[in-house]
Amino acid sequence: MTHFLSLLLLGSALLAGPVAASVFAQAVAPAAKLVVDSPRLKSGEPMHKDFTPDGRNVSPAMTWSNVPEGTKAFAVVCADFGAGLPPPWVHWVIYNIPGTAKGLPEAVPIDPAVPMPAAIAGATQGLNGWKRAIYRGPAPPVGTTHVYYFTVYALDADLKLKPNLTRAELLDAMKGHILGQGDVVPVYERRVPRTAE
Amino acid sequence: MSETPRVISRRDLLRTASAVGAAAVAGGGEAAAQAPAAAATPAAAAAAAARPREAYETLTAREADMLEAIVARLIPSDANGPGAIEARAAHYIDRSLAGALHAEIDAYRAGFAAFDRYCRMSRGKPFVELPPGDQDSVLIDVESGAATGTGAGFAGSSAAFFTMVKQHTWQGMFGDPYYGGNADFVGWDLLGYPGVRTMVTAADQQRLERNQLPPNHRSAYDFDGFNKATARGGHDHDHGPGPMPDDPTDDLAQVHPYEQGELTHGD
Repeated sequence: MTHFLSLLLLGSALLAGPVAASVFAQAVAPAAKLVVDSPRLKSGEPMHKDFTPDGRNVSPAMTWSNVPEGTKAFAVVCADFGAGLPPPWVHWVIYNIPGTAKGLPEAVPIDPAVPMPAAIAGATQGLNGWKRAIYRGPAPPVGTTHVYYFTVYALDADLKLKPNLTRAELLDAMKGHILGQGDVVPVYERRVPRTAE
Repeated sequence: MSETPRVISRRDLLRTASAVGAAAVAGGGEAAAQAPAAAATPAAAAAAAARPREAYETLTAREADMLEAIVARLIPSDANGPGAIEARAAHYIDRSLAGALHAEIDAYRAGFAAFDRYCRMSRGKPFVELPPGDQDSVLIDVESGAATGTGAGFAGSSAAFFTMVKQHTWQGMFGDPYYGGNADFVGWDLLGYPGVRTMVTAADQQRLERNQLPPNHRSAYDFDGFNKATARGGHDHDHGPGPMPDDPTDDLAQVHPYEQGELTHGD
């Protein structure tokens, strides 16, 4: 009898399993994995100095794929979780990127008088850790390697967010709208200067 | 994206510099009404270099070129009116370095050398040859302290050099023209400062409140009440710097994180 009941319960669980799993998935489904890439940034590899104050200090080009269906806009944040009081130190915040965009070009303008490239027309920059609505690249102390998270968010709506949002304000505004996210995570270390500071 | 990329936004400049205007010994008689010595863009600067310009007394030609290009980006000429070039802020600094600011001449010389090295190392060109956008980018990196640690050789933080140049540029823009800057009262006109007055009538006060009081364009030293003998000179190279405005970039968050003195490591 006991054996029979066990088989019955097991059968019930097998029948109910797919339904329960589906409900569970809806409750905790992580955002779809957006595939983020960059012509000149690779996860785990050193950034080129062009994207730092040791070079031109321009923003890197980025691309994304596996975009979730229904994506209407994108946002990108670059942050260093090894700095900041409290962390992270934010290097870049850009949002209102149209859902048709396939990525970001290199050297997004830092002058508001210069229009955004056509492919990302309407894109808006938020405030970084220096309270400037522009990209500023990494400049860690000499001899320390820091990690930089370039995170891309796919959103289900064009939220038409106002300019100058901080990262925290952006994350708050995006709550409930993130269909997927992905990142590329390069590192950077400054070399020993050739002349003493 | 409404935030200006300029190192000092016109908005911040006007907000804080208005305090200078209110406090400045004002007026306007001794402004050197000479043509701008350099233009705000590299192309114009190159053209300007081809024509005679007023001599610099303390700085080398190369330092003067850099300083003119820097002040042109700090307070550019735009739709709001003339900027630091027209105010002769660079000449004010040059002359002051032979006088009241003489103690800072070494900081200027070392700073210019490091600044030049930083531009060449990071952007591949001298500052004066960079397009305005790249010039702004360089200045932002110097202002934030991010140029420190590059091997350019800034003494301490690059931000210290930036702050020094910026403060003196403001003095040259908004100080009394008696001291050699604020030529033609362009700084006070930019602020809407009507000038020093020894007497203000009720009618003047009412016009001032309506923002309709025309500037008198007179230096404080045009009034007998101000004694040039006790003003520590002016054109005799013994002049003092003008009033110092509050610094809008004092906000700690605008300084590079590892230069805030509170972090054990940077970003």
